Amino acid sequence: MTQFDPTTLEIYRALYTSVAEEMGIALRRSAFSPNIKERRDYSCAVFDARGRVIAQGDHMPVHLGSMPMAVASALSEIDLQPGDVVALNDPFAGGTHLPDVTLVMPVFAEVTADRKPATVKNGAVHRRPSSVGRPLFYVANRAHHADIGGATPGSMGLATDIYGEGLSIPPVRLLKNGALNEDMMRLILANVRSHDERRGDFQAQIGSLKTGAARLLEIGQRRGAPEARAYATHLIEYSARLMRQAIATIPDGKYEAEDALDDDGVTAGEVPIRVAVTIKAARATVDFTGSAAQVAGPINAVEAITVSAVSYVFRCLLDGDVPASAGLMEPIEVLAPRATIVNAIHPASVAGGNVETSQRIVDVLFKALARGLPDRIPAASQGTMNNLTIGGIDPRTGNIGREFSYYETVAGGMGARPEHDGMSAVHTHMTNSLNTPAEALEYAYPLRVREYKIRKGSGGKGKHRGGDGVVREIETLAPARMSLLADRRKRGPYGLAGGEDGQPGNATIIHKGRSRKIGSKGSWELEAGDRVRIETPGGGGFGKG
Amino acid sequence: MLKRKLKQSVRVGVDTGGTFTDFVFETNGRLEIFKFASTPADPSLAVSQGLQQVAQKTGVSLKNIEVVHGTTVGTNALLQRRGARTALVTTSGFEDVLAIGRQARPELYNLNAVSPPPLVTEKLRFGLHERVTATGEVLELLNQTELVRLVAQLKKANVESVAICLLFSFVNPAHEKQIAQALSALNIPLSISHQILPEYREFERTSTVAINAYLQPLMGTYLKRLATSTKKLRVMQSSGGSISASVAANEPVRTILSGPAGGVVGALRAARVSGFEKIITFDMGGTSTDVALCERDGLRLTNEASVAGLPVAVPVMDIHTVGAGGGSIARVDEGGSLRVGPESAGADPGPACYGRSFLPTVTDAHLLLGHFGGAGLLGGEFGLDEERSRKAFAQLANEMSKAARRTVSTIEAAQGVLTVANTNMERALRRISVERGFDPRDFALLPFGGAGGLHAVDLARALSIPRIIVPRSGGALSAIGVLTANVVKDQSRTLMLDLEPGSERKLGETFIELERAAAAALRREGFSVTKQKHARLLALRYKGQSFELEIKQTKGNIAASFHRAHRERYGYAQESNVVEIVNARVRSTGMVAKLPPGRASVSRKKNYAKPAKFVTAYLDGKKLSVAVYQRDELPAGAQLRTPCIITEYSSTTLIPPGARAEVDDFGNLIIHVT
Repeated sequence: MTQFDPTTLEIYRALYTSVAEEMGIALRRSAFSPNIKERRDYSCAVFDARGRVIAQGDHMPVHLGSMPMAVASALSEIDLQPGDVVALNDPFAGGTHLPDVTLVMPVFAEVTADRKPATVKNGAVHRRPSSVGRPLFYVANRAHHADIGGATPGSMGLATDIYGEGLSIPPVRLLKNGALNEDMMRLILANVRSHDERRGDFQAQIGSLKTGAARLLEIGQRRGAPEARAYATHLIEYSARLMRQAIATIPDGKYEAEDALDDDGVTAGEVPIRVAVTIKAARATVDFTGSAAQVAGPINAVEAITVSAVSYVFRCLLDGDVPASAGLMEPIEVLAPRATIVNAIHPASVAGGNVETSQRIVDVLFKALARGLPDRIPAASQGTMNNLTIGGIDPRTGNIGREFSYYETVAGGMGARPEHDGMSAVHTHMTNSLNTPAEALEYAYPLRVREYKIRKGSGGKGKHRGGDGVVREIETLAPARMSLLADRRKRGPYGLAGGEDGQPGNATIIHKGRSRKIGSKGSWELEAGDRVRIETPGGGGFGKG
Repeated sequence: MLKRKLKQSVRVGVDTGGTFTDFVFETNGRLEIFKFASTPADPSLAVSQGLQQVAQKTGVSLKNIEVVHGTTVGTNALLQRRGARTALVTTSGFEDVLAIGRQARPELYNLNAVSPPPLVTEKLRFGLHERVTATGEVLELLNQTELVRLVAQLKKANVESVAICLLFSFVNPAHEKQIAQALSALNIPLSISHQILPEYREFERTSTVAINAYLQPLMGTYLKRLATSTKKLRVMQSSGGSISASVAANEPVRTILSGPAGGVVGALRAARVSGFEKIITFDMGGTSTDVALCERDGLRLTNEASVAGLPVAVPVMDIHTVGAGGGSIARVDEGGSLRVGPESAGADPGPACYGRSFLPTVTDAHLLLGHFGGAGLLGGEFGLDEERSRKAFAQLANEMSKAARRTVSTIEAAQGVLTVANTNMERALRRISVERGFDPRDFALLPFGGAGGLHAVDLARALSIPRIIVPRSGGALSAIGVLTANVVKDQSRTLMLDLEPGSERKLGETFIELERAAAAALRREGFSVTKQKHARLLALRYKGQSFELEIKQTKGNIAASFHRAHRERYGYAQESNVVEIVNARVRSTGMVAKLPPGRASVSRKKNYAKPAKFVTAYLDGKKLSVAVYQRDELPAGAQLRTPCIITEYSSTTLIPPGARAEVDDFGNLIIHVT
């Protein structure tokens, strides 16, 4: 450990975190899709010159541990120059699932001092050699785009390989030398639905990166680049120290658990996930050996997701606002065997790995840790995000009609805690996106919310009750195609210490007044007037009631 | 007293604070200020006492005293959950709107976090079958049988207040009106959403209306009690304008941040008197700090505030609060970082130097560095125990030494604590300026509250703010603000129209309708047409976006103005996109007679004032001999030697070397930061 000053460390903790937060505000305020603005499905982060994360805004936990892979991938594929912005979503090259598009930008000291780092002479681009050093930092943001192409509106359907899920973007330059790469943008927009909205969201993401870069340069100028760099490292070590102390509070031992996803939507049968967490003093090894092989349906998680979930669970063991830097994972080793449900390889379909499997990985990790920390770990929360997508042509927009694509995740019950009941109707663990207000939804889409209530009694009983799930019923006013990607329809979220399991979820389509139960994963055609009713799981109870 | 010509009436500003209730009134062209101890159990007691004193001092009979009041009755009732037993009536299927909220949890990584429970319990939420669409069409008529049953249910449930909020009632209020009509038989206060906040987003609207219902009985009783002491009573709104007592009794949600809003209005008046138009206010107290930004055209408002964790979507002054103040406790955390706050020593036990604890706080750091000029607080009435501060900081320095693996002195520790506190507050200032698209260099910083002046120069330097104004009577700024505030009526309506050539007519009609209602209301409050001002505002966005930008242009090329505003705020515009008119808003003002600027007695320009004494203090990391001035002994025009410390009754200002300072003609202290 190198020497640092406690005051200066605290200053940088605040500075770098505020950069990530400002990037988030800029993105949210100027984005187009309700998904980013209303639901806040995005994350922003700051990286040091080596591509290690030093701060991340408190946005989406599922992005927590996986953003560094995106930056690493961008750096390995592309020689980033001033004014470049790299876009990527390829799950097998730094991404997570296709709708999450990550933009990465290097921050060079000279960029603001001289906005024209390159000149064109004799048809060739010449850079002023002095202006291109190594970047001081990188900034990145990730936003869930409401559609990224593929067979189903919203790109969250039941494909059996990555090609069916939509457009894969390997690391490519979206901006080159400060100018938008229009060819690239046209190619992307030609492959996605509601492309005006996509373009607006990309622009908002770029604006947010520029905000972050300007702030970092300002810090560098004010306090000196060497200090700024040194304290980036100190911050990483700081997070690592805190994490080691947190792990040291868990008694040494090997804690094992198993939980499962209901099915993959394509083939029948549970998909088990197994974990063994070994604690030895201040270090943890998290081994997923024994988990299911990768499956045909779209619930495969790439390694980045698994690392994110582990990162989230251990982060929850820390008190207070600790910077989400690379240091958090320093004392933790993740072993995820290749070609399994927790480390899928190309060309697996992965849309639900991010949103469903990530939740189950959290569940199984907490279940294991509860054996070591019975007084601190909560019972299982709803364990799904109930991803609902409805898309089609909006008849209100004239003869030709405009495409619409609505995506939402529905909250559920939180697991009861050793000291408190679980909360009802909240998003838990790997997501924290907001709902779309019923009134906003009806303005934006040919849809109508018919009911949005707490699903009373769905939480597991116990000394402390699991939180209740919700009921959300939506009517479509136009023919539409609807997709659902959900889980915990068979096995309810587990209770702990004698508490009962929460109720599993349920989904139905109501056609001309008649209800028909549908599976947890799949796509269905809807007629105008049809309703989709989603009942989400309750959380598990804690302790004997 | 009888010899003096008796005044016919007098206007008094009254601000209820946690410790004192402040009174300000104008007499013979001067502002007179006095304080009474607050009476938290019934705040109207202190108010009545003070008003009697005003009557005695001015010879104006109580019934001719006009009162403008900044009150914490609403805020406190909400924070302490002492409001009415409230029922909520919604569209069937949406009864749980308050409990679901936006389905977010309060803290991402805290497994034990809990949310504040909704204001309306499950048993008191009632859904009625009915449905209006986004275009105002009635899809399902209000079920009359259910309505009749509801009246009986509410009677049986002994509710004291009812909130009514149906989907899309702002487009077509017919069903809400029918419900209100039926419930009027209950003879209890009703809060009806299309009247209080006719804007879309059902959770935020319901939350606002429920808060209103929750506070209505309490506020009504309180204002009725006050009305016995005065005939003409107005109440400060959170938006910086006042409303009549009867409006406040019906719409108490508008008064929730009454006190802080008064402070900002008072600060703005002080700045304007001294010729500054754009300011950032910085109110640092014991446990928290409030910051706000005022542009050339005045206060900035937001419709996205939340109080006690509950959204309040009526216009509220855009004040950002951080949990950092004089009482913030410093510690070295497990990772070796020096943290300051958010835990606070509060007033009890208070900082180590208050003599009841050994908690190292920001106040102790200032004391150890000599920043109080060798006096105690409150003009020396409140002595400080420096030995305790030293012990507390010796312990902190010891922890810092361990983390840094070198010896950190007590003085270094104190300096470190101030640096971290400043970093936290700088973040708050950035949030309301840079993050909202403003350049701090265009503003003056106006510190108030006990500790604002101790940090102002450091913060101004960090943000390149060139000037600081430390107002005269900083301790009674809220009461002054309340007294000078105009009467303001905010109205709005969600339109959700594409901006196109034909939309101007519809807009014009909406604006005229809103203005007519406001003009009549202001006339009833005694403002003739010449004393009225109506400002039109439009909340616009690109079709498909979900946040609006508010612009002032409502005629001509509205789109161009919007593109420009969007570019300024977010760095880009999309000129080919359709612009959507979300809300039309009218802010109507009844202009209150201006107070005299209160020119300070004699102007002795360009004279260096004589310091009361010199002390040794640490400034900018150096041990220096520093001049100490008493604020009330500084005449207008006085130049100050820097570095210096200026002490006054309830606050201290610190000016490090390099900055220049003088007292202007109006008694305000102006600091030139370099």
